[in-house]
Amino acid sequence: MVDAANTETLAVELRNIDKSFYGVLANADVDFQLRHGEVHALLGENGAGKSTLCSILAGLYRPDSGEMFMDGEAAAFKSPKDALAAGVGMVYQHFRLVANLTVAENLALGHPDLGIRLDESRLQKEATELGERYGLGVDPSARIWQLSVGEQQRVEILKLLYRNAKVLILDEPTAVLTPQEAQALFKTMRQMAEEGRSVIFVSHKLHEVKQVSDRVTVLRGGRTVGGVDTADAEPRDLARMMVGRDLELPTRDPGAPPGEPVLSVTDLRVQSDRGLEAVRGMAFEVRAGEVVGISGVSGNGQRELAYGLVGLRTPTAGSVILGGNDVTSASVLQHIKQGIGYVPQSRLGMGLAPGLTTEENLALKAFRDPPYSKAGRLVQSAFRDEGAREIEEYDIRGVRPGLPIRLLSGGNLQKALVAREVELKPIVLIARSPTRGLDVGATEAVRNLILAERARGAGVLLISEDLDELLALSDRLLVIYEGEIVGRMPVEDASAERLGLLMAGQREEAPA
Amino acid sequence: MSTRRFIVEPRGLASPWLKLLVPIGSVFAALVVGAIFLALTGENPFSVYKEMAEAGFGTTRSVAETLLTATPLILTGVAAAIAFKMLVWNIGGEGQFLIGAVFASGVAIWLGDGAPAYVALPVVIVAGGIGGAFWASVSAVPRVYLGTNEIITTLMLNFIAINFTNYLIFGSTSPWRDPEGATFPQGRPIPDGSRIPEFFERLDYGIFIAIALAVLAWYLLGKTRWGFQVRIAGDSADTARYAGIGVSNKILGVFLLSGAYAGFAGGLFVAGPVGALDPRSLILGLGFTGIIVAALARLNPLAIIPVAVLMAALLNSGPSLQSIGVPTATVTMLQGAILLFAVAGEFLIQNRIRRPDKSPNTAPSSGEEASPA
Repeated sequence: MVDAANTETLAVELRNIDKSFYGVLANADVDFQLRHGEVHALLGENGAGKSTLCSILAGLYRPDSGEMFMDGEAAAFKSPKDALAAGVGMVYQHFRLVANLTVAENLALGHPDLGIRLDESRLQKEATELGERYGLGVDPSARIWQLSVGEQQRVEILKLLYRNAKVLILDEPTAVLTPQEAQALFKTMRQMAEEGRSVIFVSHKLHEVKQVSDRVTVLRGGRTVGGVDTADAEPRDLARMMVGRDLELPTRDPGAPPGEPVLSVTDLRVQSDRGLEAVRGMAFEVRAGEVVGISGVSGNGQRELAYGLVGLRTPTAGSVILGGNDVTSASVLQHIKQGIGYVPQSRLGMGLAPGLTTEENLALKAFRDPPYSKAGRLVQSAFRDEGAREIEEYDIRGVRPGLPIRLLSGGNLQKALVAREVELKPIVLIARSPTRGLDVGATEAVRNLILAERARGAGVLLISEDLDELLALSDRLLVIYEGEIVGRMPVEDASAERLGLLMAGQREEAPA
Repeated sequence: MSTRRFIVEPRGLASPWLKLLVPIGSVFAALVVGAIFLALTGENPFSVYKEMAEAGFGTTRSVAETLLTATPLILTGVAAAIAFKMLVWNIGGEGQFLIGAVFASGVAIWLGDGAPAYVALPVVIVAGGIGGAFWASVSAVPRVYLGTNEIITTLMLNFIAINFTNYLIFGSTSPWRDPEGATFPQGRPIPDGSRIPEFFERLDYGIFIAIALAVLAWYLLGKTRWGFQVRIAGDSADTARYAGIGVSNKILGVFLLSGAYAGFAGGLFVAGPVGALDPRSLILGLGFTGIIVAALARLNPLAIIPVAVLMAALLNSGPSLQSIGVPTATVTMLQGAILLFAVAGEFLIQNRIRRPDKSPNTAPSSGEEASPA
């Protein structure tokens, strides 16, 4: 394999690529080799540096250091236009299409060989031919906004083929597709490879990688871990390479045995923003005094699960029993009153009112009742006194009178948010990636708050993509994939390999 | 990284001095720009400004007139501020003001001399508020339930209201039109029992009602449970939903309240100095000017009171300029310049502009996640 790489010229070669954002390394010393006519999978967890690497290839970012070669010659792209002129194009996760223009017009956009006047009928004919040839059928006279997401993706690929791109980068293309659409896409990818084009396929789903790719490069923490021929790679090896380590279990206080179920979910179904079923029949229980971790690659129904459980989105089917009360279709306010606490993923986007003060944010849910308000009037002294107590007790730093909370640091924001939820003494606390992006001290503080809730007797549902966090806090783990629970285990039985396989879609549990 | 000469970054906590300095600076900067224009057209800016100051505040009579004009401006200013605070862009104050005037004068004419003043006056003023809220609801209901753009609908409804008011007097023989005004159409005078009494020159007690309503708005937004929910929803709709606050009905409530305030202004104006539904005395752009007042007062209902007085003086000084041969439009130009500087000044309150540090290790802005991967 090494010999082969040396004798033939590579379509693309990257050597020692470094790229950092604001001092955070996204790519460190990355090597990457792409052959002519292959489908090459780029595998890695969230934040492993896959998208950054692709964006460098596509000319969107420039590397801080390192070398790039195309067909053996040194190359440097100043812009995506440059890259496309050299034959490298990318389909981004968020499409770059003009919604009000037709498919044919989108193909023509930015094309250097087309003059000022558009020959729409010729364009449409060419688009139809191209589409038929690659199995990318889409009506060239349709406007983009009329198309489904899968069809829009085909337009993106057609755009690249219309520019005769030799290297096509598809960034997590299957994330937005149904399994059937994904299969059609794989056929197109194979066909492009047979014509001698090279396809980079970004994914974190092992079975897809195994099915469609010739070779795999695994990235972890911004570095290349290795490259292998897909045929030689066992899914379990890939999983270990992706996750990186044999995970160590922290020694933790077993605590009192869990009590009665406080949250019972049966056959829960919740739709995504786009109206697709994102939670597809989940059933589980959370008992008093235990932490149940939900593990999974992001975008597999975490958001919709949380929304469905806290009342932000009414489930389409199933039931949610909270502390003995059916809250399936209750409002957010009823959920709060019935004892649900929720730490959302986005602190300033949803959990806190950025322009209000810390004291006001601490009362964001409790303001309706005494001591914060009496007979419809706010009691300013309660805001001040309760706020001061909680700021002291939860060690929230940087607060000044009148200061909007958005000006606190991430750790202090999160401490304030969790403090507010904990102060309500919820029966069930739902937390999404609560320590994401926090420094060590704040992480510790937030973890301790969550464990204190467990000790108090609350049921905690921890939805996270961070295995360390899940393993440190959970008593039991559920693994979700594409909106279904595919495995469940006590934390003692969790291993990197097993979790990695489950997260990548190898199910242990029969479909619901 | 390219080297930049200036760095713009969000300011932490703006000092109270800055919050006071920026509006004052806006007015001053507008006056400087106005002075340049006046000088270019061959006028002496100082004598023009002196004339304006005298027209606004020079005599007890002019002070009374200024406060009289300030009365509706306070209310249209508060109307804009209430809505803008919740990011509801109600720029239909003009139309809501006029429909408020139509309702108020209509009720006053309908009541006739039958009701005593202590009944008639409150009824007339409340009718004005209802009229304004009704006109706002035409935009508010589709905004909340269908997601229409309220900037467009409120703006368009202004012109409908203007033409409707004109129609009632000039285009029809409606009950609002004075049947005795044979030579030229005019509004039917509303009965004395529905007129707000004067106490100083032409100044009536409406100014106190306006101030009381401004204080009420300040209290509602700042001190009540409802106001707290409005502030949360205005700050972040997603956070409000997360906290169990019904965002739609808050938008609806704020929108209607905003319309009601503009309507109160119309009610006070017809029941006060105008005394009839008289388009020539009502269609002065008081609703639009309220937007400038609100912006200059940084949406603070209490600050609106002095700002409205200042703006009223500016408006009233217009006619006096003609006597010294300067176009009345000077006032409009100054108004526009003040708004422009006030909005630009708001940027200075929110952000600071500074030279880059010598040290390269400045912390990244906290807004974006560091890694896009």
